Amino acid sequence: MSRFFRAGESDSDDSDDYSEEISDSEIDSDDSDESSDDDEPRNATKPSLLSRLEKDYSDSDSDDDTVRVVRSAKDKRFEEIEQAVTLMANKQKINDWVSAQNEFDRANKALQKAASIIAQTGVPKFYIKAVAELEKEIQKALAKEKTATKKLNPSNAKALNSMKQNIKKNNRQYESQIQEYEKDPENYDKEVEVVEKKKITKVKKPVVSDSEDESEAAEDEDDGFTPVGAGGKTVEFNQENLFKKLREVAEARGKKNTNREEQVRILERLLIVANTPFQKIRVLLSLISAQFDFAVGLSGYMSIPLWKSAEKYLNSLLVILEANSGYVVRENAPEEDDNDKDRTPQNGEPVLIQGSVVAFIDRLDDEFTKSLQNIDPHTTDYVDRLKDEVGLYTVIVRSHAYFTRLEMTDAISRTTMRRLEHLYFKPDVVILAVEQTLATTLPALIATPALDSANLIHDLCVYIYKNGASLLRTRAMLCHIYHHALHNRFFVARDMLLMSHLQETIHQADVTTQILHNRAMVQLGLCAFRSGMIKEAQGCLQDISGTGRVKELLAQGLQLQRNNAVSPEQEKLDRQRQLPFHMHINLELLECVYLTCSMLLEIPTMAAANLKPENRKKVISKPFRRMLDYNSRQVFAGPPENTRDHIMGAAKALSNGEWQQSVELINTIKIWELMPNSDRIKEMLGQKIQEEGLRTYLFSNASFYSSVGLEQLSKMFNLPKNTVVSIVSKMIWSEELSASIDQVSNVVVLHHVQPSQVQALALAFAEKATGFVESNEKLLEQKTPQQADRPKKGPNTKDQVSGKQQQRTMGGQPRSGRGGRNQFNNGLGNSVKGNRK
Amino acid sequence: MSAQYDLTSKMIPFLDIHLVFPLLEFLEINELYYSPASLLNARYELSLKTNMIDFIEKLNGDLKDAGEAPAAVELKREEILEKLQASQAEAQKVMDVIENPDVIAALRQDKLQNLQFLKDNYGMTPEMIQTLYKFGQFQYSCGNYGGAADMLYHYRVLSTDDTLGLSALWGKLASEILVGNWEVAFEAIQELKENIDKTHFASPLHQLEQRTWFLHWSLFVFFNHPKGRDAVIDLFFQPAYINTIQTSCPWILRYLTAAVITNKRRKNLLKDLVKVIEHESYQYKDPVTEFVEALYVNFDFELAKKKLAECEEVLENDFFLVSIQEEFIQNARCFISETYCRIHQKIDIAELSQTLNMSKEEGEKWIVNLIRDTRVDAKIDYQENTVLMNTNNTSVYQQIIERTKGLSFRSQVLATSIDKRESAQAKVKAAMAQHQDKSHSNESA
Repeated sequence: MSRFFRAGESDSDDSDDYSEEISDSEIDSDDSDESSDDDEPRNATKPSLLSRLEKDYSDSDSDDDTVRVVRSAKDKRFEEIEQAVTLMANKQKINDWVSAQNEFDRANKALQKAASIIAQTGVPKFYIKAVAELEKEIQKALAKEKTATKKLNPSNAKALNSMKQNIKKNNRQYESQIQEYEKDPENYDKEVEVVEKKKITKVKKPVVSDSEDESEAAEDEDDGFTPVGAGGKTVEFNQENLFKKLREVAEARGKKNTNREEQVRILERLLIVANTPFQKIRVLLSLISAQFDFAVGLSGYMSIPLWKSAEKYLNSLLVILEANSGYVVRENAPEEDDNDKDRTPQNGEPVLIQGSVVAFIDRLDDEFTKSLQNIDPHTTDYVDRLKDEVGLYTVIVRSHAYFTRLEMTDAISRTTMRRLEHLYFKPDVVILAVEQTLATTLPALIATPALDSANLIHDLCVYIYKNGASLLRTRAMLCHIYHHALHNRFFVARDMLLMSHLQETIHQADVTTQILHNRAMVQLGLCAFRSGMIKEAQGCLQDISGTGRVKELLAQGLQLQRNNAVSPEQEKLDRQRQLPFHMHINLELLECVYLTCSMLLEIPTMAAANLKPENRKKVISKPFRRMLDYNSRQVFAGPPENTRDHIMGAAKALSNGEWQQSVELINTIKIWELMPNSDRIKEMLGQKIQEEGLRTYLFSNASFYSSVGLEQLSKMFNLPKNTVVSIVSKMIWSEELSASIDQVSNVVVLHHVQPSQVQALALAFAEKATGFVESNEKLLEQKTPQQADRPKKGPNTKDQVSGKQQQRTMGGQPRSGRGGRNQFNNGLGNSVKGNRK
Repeated sequence: MSAQYDLTSKMIPFLDIHLVFPLLEFLEINELYYSPASLLNARYELSLKTNMIDFIEKLNGDLKDAGEAPAAVELKREEILEKLQASQAEAQKVMDVIENPDVIAALRQDKLQNLQFLKDNYGMTPEMIQTLYKFGQFQYSCGNYGGAADMLYHYRVLSTDDTLGLSALWGKLASEILVGNWEVAFEAIQELKENIDKTHFASPLHQLEQRTWFLHWSLFVFFNHPKGRDAVIDLFFQPAYINTIQTSCPWILRYLTAAVITNKRRKNLLKDLVKVIEHESYQYKDPVTEFVEALYVNFDFELAKKKLAECEEVLENDFFLVSIQEEFIQNARCFISETYCRIHQKIDIAELSQTLNMSKEEGEKWIVNLIRDTRVDAKIDYQENTVLMNTNNTSVYQQIIERTKGLSFRSQVLATSIDKRESAQAKVKAAMAQHQDKSHSNESA
């Protein structure tokens, strides 16, 4: 007749009894499993029936389409307990105390899990009954054991004994209930039924009303259909069970076989149902974290639609928090007690909710960067993705305002830093545009858009300097320097860099900060170049561009390693550090600037070195010299094709005194167009080339003239006479050129000291002798341990010997390394490398 | 003359109220930059913050349109006099003890011991000593600087409190400056500097502030004390102070430059100075620094000449530098002509004199003196009216001698170190052998 029969067939003695139950349970299908719960104690001795019933329920759920059963969390828990209790009763009947003990433990565990429900409804009666019975049984068993001839096996006996103790302890908690039960064991659970029944009817009403709501929201549901939850169980969401569901989701979180997608869907439904701020906040908190949970996919970043919805929810969370100042989300909020009441702020006391908005912000931002790292920057996808940054920025600003209101210092500095990192590398126009969108998307109270980017960056940085942790301060400082440099405020940026003493400690910082430092240095160099300070520019860029590992140092792409020493994990780490494409500094431009600076400094020095041999060792830029060497060794030099060729050509022309050709070659380099005010820069370069050309010319041709007319020089290099005089004077003053100016006849008189043969030989001899002594000194230095250490060693000669040996082995190494000039650069490179291992 | 080179307004924030008066007075007397009335007014306003009643009244009298303040002033006077008497009476108690010859004889180097001694024998508590400080401070604010200096001296001798000691030192310095007691002030400067350098301040910023103040105050002493100009160079070129100048008060560079230029013996520091000036030129410029820049960075003699003319004016209107104006101009000319001579071979006297802002005859005289004084190897061609510089190239002999000079010494060092090494190794060997012998004998035993 009924599907229940199929399961219950074998147990003929109880089936009648049961079918009666069903008849009334069919009236209101909802409570059918509730009522069966209450049946169970009576059927406690028939576990097989129960388990089958269990199965039956779930089966029936799947093939039945008219009646659905809501299984609240309470039912589920109680079922578990019940099952354990019945099994336990069975086992004790057959004297299998080991299993009985196991079941007893299980029941207790389940009871603990259901603690929240129990707090509302009280301890389930069937449990009380079972434990009361159990105690009696154990006493009986023990009594029997004493008299019995055939003893139980040892493990069984042991289990029995421990059970005895456990049950005593356990039952003490429920003393009153057990007494009640003892009084009237027969009727004890009858009354419960009545109570339960009442309860059920009470619950029913809202369910109906809510399901109507829901059918509106979820259109594909007909009346009478309810959403199907995981595992085919029916799920219905309403105000009452919202918190239960929420907890279920929370409990399932992080478990192995949790279907994350399902969880998100459940939470989204819950969100629709939720209507008080408290509920909404709670649901949103779990929803956002659930979304982040299943972010990890094959692509390594959160899918964009998902990211967007997370952003949307985060935004709405912030809106709710803004609108309801009575609710405060904090990381250190007290653990919520289990009664899932809707809480409202009372007498001014805000409701504390556990959660961390700042963590969401961090995660959202990180996921954004990750996605940018992974999307091919040359596709429209990248651009589309980049457009989302404005939204992200808005959220960050919004949360920043929120934290400011709550005065959560740590969170404020974190979001300030995030804000800064979104802005610092952008030109003014972009920053202002982004700030303008704030005005349209955010209420005026929350954020007023900044009108001046420099002020905005300054304010953000100053906040962090005052409140941030030391790492944040360092990063803010670097961003600030970068920003100043980007806006051609070289002196300000330089002074900040020098005053912060960052360069001394930067090699101890983490890799990303070092990268930021490298970026700031490069930007500073570019800034100096733009303002025509060639020497400064070269100095700043030398450390980065001179190494030949520019890509790696700026995290703008992986450098091919010659001796494939990079492990896959290392590569993965490197990949994670890469900057998104839109933050890149143009490497070709960088190289071009570096080489041009090197050219302007190196060519005159090389010419001067011919004049004074002792200067020959002075090398300003190694890569430049190497390139120039390579270029001049070529048999046929074709017309210049790339930037390097152009610069090399210009360098050669410059050293030959053909400044016009040099200027022309430099000006044809296309990449200058990427610089703002490229015309002015070309003009500046032209002038520098003229000046350096003059210097080079004087250096390389001084020996051929006895005097040179100033007028002629000024004509040759197209420079005003004053400048020529000033340049020549400077050269004379610094003793680069042995000459003097004849003011009356307006010529530069070059002094030649033409040594006679003997004199020249004597000079050469003296030089050789000096070299000889020097090499002797070096030799001795290598062979002997440092003298300073010697006296400290004391009389223990053995120590001295071993010390000597150690130092000898060490002695060879450091000297072979590069000169001290690149100390900083080496340190930086090393530390980057050091972190790789 | 515009006020753009006036540093008074920049310096006032770093000076004590009392130290500001001389500056303002200077401006007022010379009728510089600002209208005298406004300066008088400023002084009056300032004086209201002090306890110098007579001074206030005098200023009030000078200030024609300053309505009726006297009633309040009169009230203040009584109040102050009362207070003065009270604190004087208190301080007198202490002074009586201290001035007792027996006590002076008994005092030792150790301050704690002294305190103990005074406490045991004369019942002096630290609080009483504190009154000395308070009285000194009060006297200072009343304008009785001599008395204040005295009190603070006594306080510093007895007190062990570091922070108050430091402010007492500041007070003493200010008092001595205002009295014009430069010898003592000079000593106070040194003492204060040591104190600032060795004290551990809570934040670097605080120390920077102290140093900035110190730099400003020290100007009073350095430009009035005969040895001051050496000292100012020594002090300001110390890394800590040059950094302070660069970070918080670049205008001090003017005084440093003036000091370097007027001090012939410190020519070697010119290079450092040029570097600093070049470095800071983006944030501070005035004719004095521009002069150095023109001369040593750009070698633009025209510009240097122009700047020198401006310098004259600026110096004349500078409270601290007015006294060395003459000297500065003289020396600056020297620098110009020296540089000029080094670069040029043949110089037209007329042009040079023009560069030096002198008439032709004056210029000729100047050059003759220069040749005589600095032993420049030059001759005047009277017919052509030019100076001929004889360039002295170092001869090859000289060069070789120069290059090989160090060789013998270096070889000697080398030889001795080889010797040392040999002997050390021999010792080691001997020790090893001994050790082995021992172990052998041990084994055999």
